[in-house]
Amino acid sequence: MSNFILRKAEPKDVSDILRLIKELAKFEEMEEQVVLTEKELLEDGFGDHPFYHCVVAEVPQEKQSSDGYTVIGFAMYYFTYDPWIGKLLYLEDFYVMEQFRGYGIGSDILKLLSETAVKTRCSSMHFIVAEWNKTSIEFYKRRGASDLSDEEGWRLYAIEKEDLLKISAKKR
Amino acid sequence: MFNRWEDLCNVISLRPLLPAVGLPTPVLPTWCLILYFLDIFHNMDFSIRPATLEDCKDIARMLLELAEYEKVLDQIKVTQKDLEQDGFIKNPFFHGIVAEVPEEHRSKEGHTKVGYALYFYSYSSWKGRAVYMEDLYVMPEFRGKGIGKALMSKVAQLGLAAGCSLLNFSVLDWNKPSLDFYLSQGCSDITADMGYHCMRCEGDELEKLAQGGT
Repeated sequence: MSNFILRKAEPKDVSDILRLIKELAKFEEMEEQVVLTEKELLEDGFGDHPFYHCVVAEVPQEKQSSDGYTVIGFAMYYFTYDPWIGKLLYLEDFYVMEQFRGYGIGSDILKLLSETAVKTRCSSMHFIVAEWNKTSIEFYKRRGASDLSDEEGWRLYAIEKEDLLKISAKKR
Repeated sequence: MFNRWEDLCNVISLRPLLPAVGLPTPVLPTWCLILYFLDIFHNMDFSIRPATLEDCKDIARMLLELAEYEKVLDQIKVTQKDLEQDGFIKNPFFHGIVAEVPEEHRSKEGHTKVGYALYFYSYSSWKGRAVYMEDLYVMPEFRGKGIGKALMSKVAQLGLAAGCSLLNFSVLDWNKPSLDFYLSQGCSDITADMGYHCMRCEGDELEKLAQGGT
């Protein structure tokens, strides 16, 4: 399928973005963890200081998905900072609907993000992958990605809101 | 100082005994005085404040100390100038907070800026606004005094104030003191619990990817 376009997401896309976020989360067996709403996506991505950037993959009407969607893939990213090497592009989510895989859409999205990273003088692009997701890990390793958790021992940590409130309230 | 005196009396429960032995409150045994001054030292006076352009020199110094501890000194490419340019522009790439002690408690080499944290706002496609703590460091001579906890608490406060519901950061798997500290603060190891690995595509590989190579 050569007939698809990649474009910057617009406010009208938030409904499709949330749908695709939930589809990806379902694939990762984490669908109940998605608490984000369309309203938050709109405020956080299209306000004065966006927390994220998004590109979407769109097919023409005649190629729409079996449930009638034309926005069939997306990538959500933002810029981060490593005080050792400088600016980085962090890839938060990257997904193409199953029906549209194998046509190079994912490769093109990744190429576009890499171009963005290079243009904005980012030294590197970072992301996380679940260790059981062998297909994705192969996809990324074929494109030169290295596993920092395996190679350098980095472990990702998280503190959720309940504990954040406790930490921020602790007196000295 | 008076408050600490009272606190010390209460903590070691002497106050109830003193009237019984006829001694006024301020007159306490030598070992109490020793405890009192040790207590002052343990709870050293320090302040946490937002980093300024002038702090970049000290942040760069401490950043190198942290990199040396993590055994990756040869990987550092960022300079003091980069920090100034990237952290203090209209849309900064990172934010910083600094821990400072009074002159009389300065380090052996004369530094009063003894710890820092670098953080930036990120986004979780599941939970929305998030804050990522990139660096947290306290000079070895100033550890064990609550400065690390205070820095992390400040990042948590700032994150919550900005509407974040999540704080993320990474730790090296051999860094046992840090792992223990973070677990005591209620953190979870996402790599262990959910199998997420941190991946990177950089330098030549990133350029190749941008040019469409597989």
